[in-house]
Amino acid sequence: MIKPLILWVLLLLPFCSFSNYYTFGYSGNAAFYGNTWQMTTPILGITTEEGMDISGVIYNYKAVKEVEDDFTVTVQNEDIDGGYIFQETDDWSGKHGMRIQKLIPMNYTPIEQFGKGSIETTGTGSIEDASVLYIYRFDGCRNPQNNENCPGYVPPMPVIPKIEIYDALEDDAVDDATKETDSDLYDKEEEESEQDEKEEEDEDRLELAMAASENALTIANDISQASLLQTMNAATNVKSYYVAQVPGGVYRESISLDGGKIVDNRNALRSLAQDNLMDDMIQEQYK
Amino acid sequence: MKKLLLMTLVLGLTACSMLMPKKAEAVTNINGTVESRCTVNTDTSGYYGNPNAYTLTTLPASAGQVPIVRVDTSLANAYKAQISYPTSFSSSPSLSDTVVWTGAVAVAQTSSTDMSGYQAASTTADGGAMRIYELVHAGATWFSVSSVATYGGGQQKAFPGGSYSAVVTAECIAQ
Repeated sequence: MIKPLILWVLLLLPFCSFSNYYTFGYSGNAAFYGNTWQMTTPILGITTEEGMDISGVIYNYKAVKEVEDDFTVTVQNEDIDGGYIFQETDDWSGKHGMRIQKLIPMNYTPIEQFGKGSIETTGTGSIEDASVLYIYRFDGCRNPQNNENCPGYVPPMPVIPKIEIYDALEDDAVDDATKETDSDLYDKEEEESEQDEKEEEDEDRLELAMAASENALTIANDISQASLLQTMNAATNVKSYYVAQVPGGVYRESISLDGGKIVDNRNALRSLAQDNLMDDMIQEQYK
Repeated sequence: MKKLLLMTLVLGLTACSMLMPKKAEAVTNINGTVESRCTVNTDTSGYYGNPNAYTLTTLPASAGQVPIVRVDTSLANAYKAQISYPTSFSSSPSLSDTVVWTGAVAVAQTSSTDMSGYQAASTTADGGAMRIYELVHAGATWFSVSSVATYGGGQQKAFPGGSYSAVVTAECIAQ
């Protein structure tokens, strides 16, 4: 007994899921910006793509008039094929002006069929606080491409960019370049141009080498100067000398000479007075 | 002997006729229901604002909200709507002084221009607290019911603190 029931449920499940694609609701106030409007998303606040059907209109306004005045108010929507999809006229002639609210039911009509909407009046009087709401049903799967869960949805193919193939044979510049010319003149020009190119290349290479050596010297000079400055800064850092303390106090003179006279060494004076030894020493270095 | 037999027969028939019921009877009920062609619903609930210590009011200018009652009838000239503003609290703290009630019932909007004369054609009852509308057209009519309660009988006494409720009565009665 349970198995057949489960089978029935499974069979009916897809039909239930179809109903989930419908959404119902009301549009925003179409007359918010004035007494004429277009059936567009910015004005209605609902999507206007395929699958949106209108099933009714609720309008509300306050008629301001004197009882004795003739006054009519017409709420309507044009049909894009001509005429009107709906047209409702309120005749207030000889009646008290007051607020009115009406529901205009209609068959499910695709929103694409709706043209301009408007509230038009004739006679003496005015309307205040007008509101026009559309009752809708949106079938999210009428166009299966709206939702990937819709039956019949086809994943869109990626857009392949068109690549233009370059045909060198149709290029005028290539044609000009491949035209026949005087071969001797061409060879001579080619040799000259090759020689010029070689000379230019040599000059460039020399300039590059000189620039490189100059740069190297400049860099080295900068580095040596920086190193020298660093050393000088280190040397001038005498702070440690100020804080160093020498233990022991004062070293006093402890040697005393008795007799009071020191005699010069005559032998040494004699030896230093002659240049022989100096000459010998100088000559020694060239041997 | 014949007489005796005849008498016996007559007596027997008489007895039978007395014993047999004179007629057959049965009681059969006929049941039925009438679904009213008029309905009453609350469109907008109201609440009181308290602009000063001694006043409760549904005026929006005093932070109140006027309740709206909707009456729908699908049959013209068959019903009348009787709508009353409150004249007492349905729940409140204990009050030792009098409350002065004022209010108004008015047609707020209709579903047809033909109903625009309802307010002018309406009558009052119950000291003015009830207003009666003849629903001569089929369609929907929205009635607004404002209410003001002042405590102290003109002495402007402060309402005791607490929660206050009052009831608007709206009925649809067959003519």
